[in-house]
Formats: sequence, C-alpha cells, structure tokens
Amino acid sequence: MHMADALVSPAVGGIMLAASAGAIAYSAYKCKDDLDEKKIPLMGVMGAVIFAGQMINFTIPGTGSSGHIGGGILLAALLGPFPAFLALTAVLLIQALFFADGGLLALGANIWNLGFYACLLVYPFVFKPIVKKGLTPTRISVASVVSVMLALTLGAISVVIQTLASGITELPMATFMGMMIPIHLAIGLVEGIVTGGILVFIYKMRPELLESSMDNKKLPKNLSIQKVLGVLLVFAIVVGGGLSLLASSNPDGLEWSMENVAGTAELETSGNAYDSAAGIQESTAFLPDYGFKSTDGEGSAAGTSVSGIIGAGITLILAGGTGYLIYAVKRRKEKTA
Amino acid sequence: MSTITDSMNTINSLEEMAEGNTIIHRLHPMVKLMTTMLYLVLVISFNPYNITGLMVFAFYPVILMALAEIPYKPLLKRLLVALPFSFFAGLSNIIFNQQLALMIGPVPISYGLISFTSIMVKTIFTVMAVLILIATTSLPKISYQLLSIKVPKIIVEQIMLTYRYISVLLEQVANMYTAYVLRAPASRGIKMKDMGIFVGQLLLKSFDRAESIYVAMKCRGYDGNYLYAKPSPIKKGDWLFLVLVSAILCLMRFFDLSLFIGSFL
Repeated sequence: MHMADALVSPAVGGIMLAASAGAIAYSAYKCKDDLDEKKIPLMGVMGAVIFAGQMINFTIPGTGSSGHIGGGILLAALLGPFPAFLALTAVLLIQALFFADGGLLALGANIWNLGFYACLLVYPFVFKPIVKKGLTPTRISVASVVSVMLALTLGAISVVIQTLASGITELPMATFMGMMIPIHLAIGLVEGIVTGGILVFIYKMRPELLESSMDNKKLPKNLSIQKVLGVLLVFAIVVGGGLSLLASSNPDGLEWSMENVAGTAELETSGNAYDSAAGIQESTAFLPDYGFKSTDGEGSAAGTSVSGIIGAGITLILAGGTGYLIYAVKRRKEKTA
Repeated sequence: MSTITDSMNTINSLEEMAEGNTIIHRLHPMVKLMTTMLYLVLVISFNPYNITGLMVFAFYPVILMALAEIPYKPLLKRLLVALPFSFFAGLSNIIFNQQLALMIGPVPISYGLISFTSIMVKTIFTVMAVLILIATTSLPKISYQLLSIKVPKIIVEQIMLTYRYISVLLEQVANMYTAYVLRAPASRGIKMKDMGIFVGQLLLKSFDRAESIYVAMKCRGYDGNYLYAKPSPIKKGDWLFLVLVSAILCLMRFFDLSLFIGSFL
C-alpha cells in the first residue's frame, strides 16, 4: 500500500507531507511531555522489529497465499499511540530511502495512510475502548481484528482519494474503491488475527508490557460508545474538510476523475477527450504558463506527436551516451593516473 | 528466507556505495537532499500526457550515477522491485482511456497508453533519484541535516536507532526462521497459527534487548539526550552546485528537448 512518488501530484504530496508533519510534531511534543528516557531505545528497537517483522511471510490456511504484518496497531499496543507513530515514521522513511518502498514526496501520504490512522485514530478510539474493562485474551483478539481492519480500510480509502486527487489514474472512483476496500478488509482480517495472536502471547508471557502502555494515558472512566462514535465523526469531518481543501487546491484533478466516474461509458464516443486532455494539462501543470499549448500546430495534442516521441527516444539515447562518456573519461583518467 | 537476506544485502550494498569518495559523495548532504527534492517535484509535476518533456530528466540520474561511480546493476534491481505497483496503477489507464491520441504509422496510440508510459517513466526517474541520494549520502548524514531544518530530535534519534538495529533484528529473524523451517520442513513459510508465538518471541527478546541497550547507553553517560557532532558547513562549491543544478533542472522543466529534436525530423 506504499504510494510511490510517481502516483502523487506535487499538491497532494505537499499537503500530505504537511499533514503528517503536523501529526509528527504533535506526537513529538506529547512524547517530550511524558516519555521516560528508557523508552527511546525501546522505540528504536521496536521500529526495527516491525521492519524485520514485515518480512516474515506466513501462510494463510486454505488460500495458498501468504501475508505479512503491517504493525501499526501492534506497535501502538506495545508503545502507546504517540511513540508508536514516531517509530513507524522512522520505519517508513528508511523503507522509502533504501527500498524504494514508497517515495520521498509521497512519504507524507504513506505516514498518514499507514501510521496516522492506526496509531493516532483507531488505537486510541477503537482498540482502547474495547479493552478498557480489563485485558482478556478475547478482548485483545476482538480489539486487534476490528482495529486492524478499520485502520487498513481507512488507509486504502485514503490511497484511492490521494491517487484520484493527483489525477494520475483514470480508474473510476467506484471501481477503484470496489477493488481496494474488499481486498483490504480481507487483508485486515488476516492481519488482525495475527496481531491478536501476538498480543495475546505477550499478554500471557509478560502482561506488564501491555498494561504499562495501556496505563500510559488513562482513559476517562465514563467513555461511552456514543462518545467514541462522536469522536470518529469529528475526525471524519476534519479529514473530509482536509480532503476538500486538497481538492480545491487541485480542483480539476478531482473534477476530472469525477467526470470519468460519471462518463466512462461515453468516453469513446464523446470525442471531447482532446479538449479535456488539453484542459487537464492546463490546469494540472505545475507552471501553467508553460505548456504545449504554446507550441504551434501539428503535434500539440497535449504535447505528444510522432516526432516528439522520436525526439524523446533520441533524448534518452543522448542521456545514456552522456553517462557512458563520463564513465569512459573517468576510466581513462584512472588508467593514466 | 530470501526477502530477509535480500534486504540485508540491499542495506549493506547501499551503505558501501555511500562510503565512496567522488565529487558527488563529497557534496554537502543538505545540497543533495535539496536537489533531489527539487528533481522529484519537477518530475511529478508533468501532466500525465506529456512524456516528451519528461524525457530530458533522464540526464540527471544518468549523469549523477556516472559521476558518483554507482554501479548500474544493484540500482536497477531495486528499481524492478518498485515497478509492479505503478505498473498496475498505470495499467488501468490503458483500459479506461482508449481515446486515440496519434498514429505511429499504422499503430494507434491512445491517451491511456501515453499516461501509462508517463507513470512508468516517472516511477523510474523518482526511484532512481532517491536511490542515488542514499547511495551517495549515508543515512546518519541525512538525519543530522534533518536537525538543522528543525525536525524534532526524537524523530532523528528514532531514525538512527531503528537504522542501527535493523540489521541486528533481520539477522535474528533469519535465525529464528531457519530454526522454524528445520523443525517444519514441509511448510512453506510460517503457519499463520504459529505467527503469534513467533513474532511474540521476537518481541519479548527485543524488549530485553532494548533494556540492555538502555543500560549500556546509561553506562556511557546517556541522560535522555543524544549528542551530535556539529555538521560541517555548506561550502562555496556546494552552493555553486546547488544553484547550477537547480537552474538546469528548472530549465529542463521549461524546455522540451524531445520536441526540439523532433522538430528537425
């Protein structure tokens, strides 16, 4: 579910970076307040555990396929929401840099989709209320399954919205959602069961590890389900508001995807794709004054023409040749030296 | 377990590359970070139907790799791992947008195909740029720079500690996995019902490990604050590189070399 740089637009990437930076700054501030210095090495090691843990593939019975854990909820249950969010941020950054698992500009989106929902939203408002009456294996399991499914689905929905708002894919929103949500619900179920299994094991072996993170922040005693739902609603409004902000900063990306959702059937006969493509280009261009509309006549169909494509091929060959030349010069220098 | 050894190799080989001493390696980390970010923004700012303008950005990774003497193979291998997701995201464009854009001889090219190509090219360029950054600048160096742009200290400490312990943990997981497979030779991978105990054990061991790390840090005078060496200042040459490369990159964004070459045909 890690988004690559190529799948976000600068506007969406920037907004998500800002949103995640805000969440990180807040978490860092919260950690400064009530973080025991002992926890810093623990957070680092746990981050590494999650990193390594994601590489353990387990077989899913009856399907022949395999899965791995994501770790957001697991980390939150062991460290508390804010330290967990920071630890996960570090993991995502390292994955982006070393493994091309998600891009640098898309890092904000990935931190948001994989970290924010699990650690700062679902864990405190879904997981904790379920287990607040006291830890039992059943409650831990139920809380894990529900939380992981919810966190993954929220992440999947965000991926869809971010991709569509970036104007990258032409997949209609309904189809895209229809593909992503069921898959992530299924993945969430499996991952939730495994997460529950891990937490129950920890609970049985060293119950103090879980309980200490539970006590980290005492929940108000009269936290009712209505309140939880109320908070979720507020979050939904905030996220929705943020997204509409995102949409307004890049209105045509979204409009365009909406258009596609509404009109996929007629696309082939409508014949206005040329105009809309030119419109898209105009509106999504980073520097709108520059564009192919200024190049004249033939081949300006959104900047692509046969000669342009051949030119592109030659450009690539030139680039490759330059690299080869530098290598060759360097090698010769080494020989003479 | 191939993924684990594979990632250990990746980290090791990228670390080794970052040890190099070329003109690119010697540049100030902040300068490299900034040019990489600028490159990423410019590449993804191209609209999905403009692939000709995009191509000139191939010069940046190719020249940087040559100057930094980065071998092609490991980077390309990493690239292949990153491609499939973009491939599937782009594939839908071919299916959903079959509007004819142009004909190359008898071959019709649709807008979907063009935007698909655009996604793939952008993926290649952006992934290369990030890999080049990490292959010429070690993670500790990048992390220290984050401090100077006011990233909270605790985050930087997190990155450093996690990075330090990834190889330790990977090795441990590999050992545990081998032990498991030796006892259950018939199973492909770990059975789902054993995952709780498997990862649970890993976590318990890691809690103990964190405890000893804390004690060891405490013995060396740790009081909740990490001490850092002051990062070296940005030199004149670094500024020159930054200004020059940024200017060239911006120029490349405005000037479509492909169309220029194509106009002679």
